[in-house]
Amino acid sequence: MGENAQGKTNLLESIYVLALARSHRTSNDKDLIQWQQKETTISGRVHRRTGDLPLSLNFSNKGKKARVNHLEQSKLSQYVGQLNVILFAPEDLELVKGAPTIRRRFIDMEFGQMNPLYLYHSAQYKKILKNRNAYLKRLQLGQTKDTVFLDVLTEQLVDTGSQVILARQAFLKNLELAAQPIHTEISNQQEKLTLKYQSSVDLSENTNIDQIKSQFLESLRQQYQREKSQGSTALGPHRDDVQFWVNGKDVATFGSQGQQRTAALSVKLAEIHLMQQETGEYPVLLLDDVLSELDASRQTHLLLAIQDKVQTFITAPSLSDVAKQLIHAPKVFHVKQGQITVE
Amino acid sequence: MQYPEPIAKLIDNYTKLPGIGPKTATRLAFYTLGMDNEDVESFSKSLISAKKDLTFCDTCGMITEKDMNPCIICRDKSRNQGTVFVVENSRDVMAMENTRDYHGLYHVLNGVISPSAGTGPEDINLPSLVRRLSEHEEIKEVIVGTNANAEGEATAMYLARLLKPAGIKVTRLAHGLSVGSDIDYADELTLIKAVQGRTEL
Repeated sequence: MGENAQGKTNLLESIYVLALARSHRTSNDKDLIQWQQKETTISGRVHRRTGDLPLSLNFSNKGKKARVNHLEQSKLSQYVGQLNVILFAPEDLELVKGAPTIRRRFIDMEFGQMNPLYLYHSAQYKKILKNRNAYLKRLQLGQTKDTVFLDVLTEQLVDTGSQVILARQAFLKNLELAAQPIHTEISNQQEKLTLKYQSSVDLSENTNIDQIKSQFLESLRQQYQREKSQGSTALGPHRDDVQFWVNGKDVATFGSQGQQRTAALSVKLAEIHLMQQETGEYPVLLLDDVLSELDASRQTHLLLAIQDKVQTFITAPSLSDVAKQLIHAPKVFHVKQGQITVE
Repeated sequence: MQYPEPIAKLIDNYTKLPGIGPKTATRLAFYTLGMDNEDVESFSKSLISAKKDLTFCDTCGMITEKDMNPCIICRDKSRNQGTVFVVENSRDVMAMENTRDYHGLYHVLNGVISPSAGTGPEDINLPSLVRRLSEHEEIKEVIVGTNANAEGEATAMYLARLLKPAGIKVTRLAHGLSVGSDIDYADELTLIKAVQGRTEL
């Protein structure tokens, strides 16, 4: 607890960075280092089923060094996943209504933590997309006439892009299964939540990889003239979106703000369960100033869902009445001007 | 306090090398001061000579001495003239040669197709490969040994599309487990590639 601008979020951010080796706030690692300093180190001890594990992460102008059990890891992918966290901040309530980028980022961040292969495919896809867009620009400007290389890039794009689509569909199905009971409960049995993957590729009933590939390829072929005149790739997973439907209606358009928040909350809570299924352990939950954004009934659901199961860090200016009732023996820390004291 | 100009310039020049920052450059510069005169002279001469006396082979694109063009590999008639191994740079040729197992010819692209970095198919040593193949009908197979990343893969696929219609066999290096390694140490992707590229016993 603490007033604004005292360092509460900073503390949560450091836990988040320790887990994922990057920040949710900035993509520039330099922003994580204190002004006028050359480097910074975050270290922590993770208590897991199998025993305690020291993690440490060092950022300097030479890049980052990640250590697991004091041993330096050559690949970050060997480091990420040792500690799983889920962050819930007020921005996340925008998940349903905000720009499609927010939802794609959500899938990439959360799913990537659980599935390293997805992380690889989505990174490859971004690289190929960049090359394909650059080549379309060349064609557009008449710098080249060679379409054979465009065909090569199209084939690569379709191959990795289809893997991304397939994996996202499967992830959303699982997320939906986990979110539905939670949503039904929060809405007092009144509402049923469904998640729809809205692809820019016309998928209709296509669910296996070969069907997605051929449909993706066909759609790109139809868009070729448009792509050439615009100098960019017209469709693919980078243009896809997720829709949240409640009782057969799209909540982003037809739902109230309360319904949108309920949907966002259900999905976030479902993630905790998914991660538990996937890794066998509950993640660490970080609630950044989010309780004050929720009404008493939603606060109750959130707190009951994590009670006695999930280690949770909550930041707030003060504890609400609901929180006081539901959190058993909370350990309270006061944050003031970057200093942390135990109550 | 500033360093005297000659050493400041030396430090500055060392920092132009890859992987060398100001600290290492300073250490190298002071080490250079302590070296024998003749060593320093031969060092500086070889720097200049590396730029001045080397060129790319007109036939295959590998680095070679100016008075040895075509290069020593292209001149060697005892090599198998029917196979060309395509690589990204001259260092890859050395790596292959060290195997002492390949006895065909090479073609060095001196780069890889990467539109986002401004490199198109015509910007690397690729048109000369097409010309070379049309002039030498005895070349029956092209082995593509570009790196196993998105750009290396795209370059390989492009080559295949370009050359196959001409009836040339185009092959790609295999992906998979490295020799002498344990399966449980391999990362997931390598394992997936290894399963995809499995061979029948």
